[in-house]
Amino acid sequence: MKMNRRQVLMSGAALTALAPLGRMAFAQAGGEVVIGVIYPMSGSNAQIGVDARHAFETALDLINNDYDLPLPGAKGAGLAGLGGAKIRLIFADHQADPQKGRAEAERLITQDKVAAIVGAFHSSVSNTVSVTTERYAIPYMCADSSSPSLHRRNLKFFFRPAAHDEMFSKAMFDFMDAQKKKGKKIESVGLFHEDTIFGTDSSNVQRKLAEERGYKVVADIKYRANSPSLTSEVQQIKSADPDVLLPSSYTTDAILLVKTMGELGYKPKNIIAQAAGFSEKTVFDTVGNQLIGLISRASFSLDAAAKRPFITTVNDMFNKRAARDLNDNTSRQLMALLILADAIDRAKSVEGEKVREALAATNIPGEKTIMPWKQVKFGADGQNEDADPVLLQYTGDNKFTTIFPEAVAANEPKWPMNA
Amino acid sequence: MSTEALIQVIASGLLLGLIYALIAVGLSLIFGLMDVVNFAHGEFLMVAMYATFGLWFVTAIDPILLAPVVTALLFVFGALVYLGVVRYAMRAKANIGMVQIFATFGLAILIQGLAQYFFTPDYRSIAGSWLGGKTLNIGGIFLPLPQIYGGVISVIVFGGLYLLMSRTDFGRALEATREDQGAVALVGIDRNRVFALGWGLGAALVGLAGAVLAIFYYIHPQVGGTFALIAYVTVALGGFGSVFGALVAGIIVGLVEAITAIVLPPAMKSVGVYALYLGVVFVRPSGLFGRL
Repeated sequence: MKMNRRQVLMSGAALTALAPLGRMAFAQAGGEVVIGVIYPMSGSNAQIGVDARHAFETALDLINNDYDLPLPGAKGAGLAGLGGAKIRLIFADHQADPQKGRAEAERLITQDKVAAIVGAFHSSVSNTVSVTTERYAIPYMCADSSSPSLHRRNLKFFFRPAAHDEMFSKAMFDFMDAQKKKGKKIESVGLFHEDTIFGTDSSNVQRKLAEERGYKVVADIKYRANSPSLTSEVQQIKSADPDVLLPSSYTTDAILLVKTMGELGYKPKNIIAQAAGFSEKTVFDTVGNQLIGLISRASFSLDAAAKRPFITTVNDMFNKRAARDLNDNTSRQLMALLILADAIDRAKSVEGEKVREALAATNIPGEKTIMPWKQVKFGADGQNEDADPVLLQYTGDNKFTTIFPEAVAANEPKWPMNA
Repeated sequence: MSTEALIQVIASGLLLGLIYALIAVGLSLIFGLMDVVNFAHGEFLMVAMYATFGLWFVTAIDPILLAPVVTALLFVFGALVYLGVVRYAMRAKANIGMVQIFATFGLAILIQGLAQYFFTPDYRSIAGSWLGGKTLNIGGIFLPLPQIYGGVISVIVFGGLYLLMSRTDFGRALEATREDQGAVALVGIDRNRVFALGWGLGAALVGLAGAVLAIFYYIHPQVGGTFALIAYVTVALGGFGSVFGALVAGIIVGLVEAITAIVLPPAMKSVGVYALYLGVVFVRPSGLFGRL
């Protein structure tokens, strides 16, 4: 009861705070394309929203100003297809709540007349927001929500340039298979996942892959997100002591998980994380010393700058704003806006159906992105199947190195993480 | 699950329960004194954690030594909240309960917003305190020193509160004011002053809890919400206004939560706590040690 009242009040406060933004949008003049951006700007994942904002503003800088970089939208100021029109972003806060996300999407579409919406970090929110955009027939660019169920709902206006958790988890198991071939002992895995759509979907895939490839699941722990304590949960993993621990956790739980592991004297033999919290700087700032050797899936690796020096340029632009390097999340956010801008540019229109058609016809080679992807080309379900993920290993001091796939690896993995 | 693992879970639950009790007792005290539920209780905790972090960051003094400073700061903060907000909310002529709820709720959101604005939503944590990250290993049972410290502080605080309530004039004034607010004025007790001191004491207690928690928990503008819900059910279970009830209920909540997490899927671990609370409501609607 109390929590409900609190949530009702919080949403009220958030809406009041956002009211002036709504009014500003009416001033929308010609030569401007308005895009809605829905992220958690308050609540326990507010830092995600803060960083996302910096990522989108970096992308906006690339699009609206002239940069000589081989990225879609970078050359020339504004969108050439719309007579040099500039993009303006309107940020909305979903507070990690799918219902608030839906309401904000509705507001962005009906009041602010946005041409498209980008979101939303939380898969649970992407779920509701994309249903709303579908109803109003405007494109939803799913930048960084990775639940595989999202693109399997026959939505015409849903697009996801980055990988989903099946692709990510497959990379993890491919890596484990490769390690096994090299004679490393990997027999069992332990799943540790939070209880919203992200953790549930991620663990479903991992459970299936483990079964198919002959890994024994010795612990399968679904925990409550934002718990004050994870002692019982960690104790269960510790008792099972899997060869590889596979956590799917957001920031708060990632910090608490690692702290609790330390308190209970548990050193997992290996961790391969489904990014999320485990790609956040703050986690490595607070508990990084216990995470040396952690492996996380990622869509992005700074190592790739060796072959594509412009990645460093973009990273510097981002770092100037955010005081941190691009990571798994922020790289996907930045790319998503560039891809969307490229489509609007080609559509020469802000009409939902035209932009959708242009998005569906997207064909950007991997070399023109900051990602390790083969290319950006959406299937009929809106998923880019060529968004090859990588695995990164944490080497300390907020630094990561690419260890898989071998074609792009910069270093040999340290395995096991804790001998 | 092995016996050793079970003992571990129970021991951890017990320690955490003592800390829950310490977090909840300030809430219970304020309610007992003047029938006001402080919805900003979690935010008081958050403020205390940030205060500990800030003082540690600036002075590099260990959080254990800073605890009295933070407690004193929160005492002042609590008294000011009473004098600046709650006192006015209590002047409402109608719907006084609702006015108080919304006043403290508004305060909670304001404090959260300010914290996010000034401290940013980044996660903080105190690195390199004396106890931080240290763990006692007793035959395979791991007891983190920061939490043992928290448990000990909690026990001392409850002992101290017992003495304060039963042996001092201030304690008697608190007790008398809660019995009959009108009558105390006749014997020369300033009701406002007692209330302000009561809020100060309640906030000081949660301040101490914050100083303890800051050693081993992450610090974030939303951290209060995580513990506030537990504090409310602890107070309700123990009996509104009962200091001793908060202690017992805190321990029960800690234990039930820990055990539920191994019996049921851990995602449902709060189910055990609330099921227990609902069970208590049937038998004793005002809580285990609440006045009927």
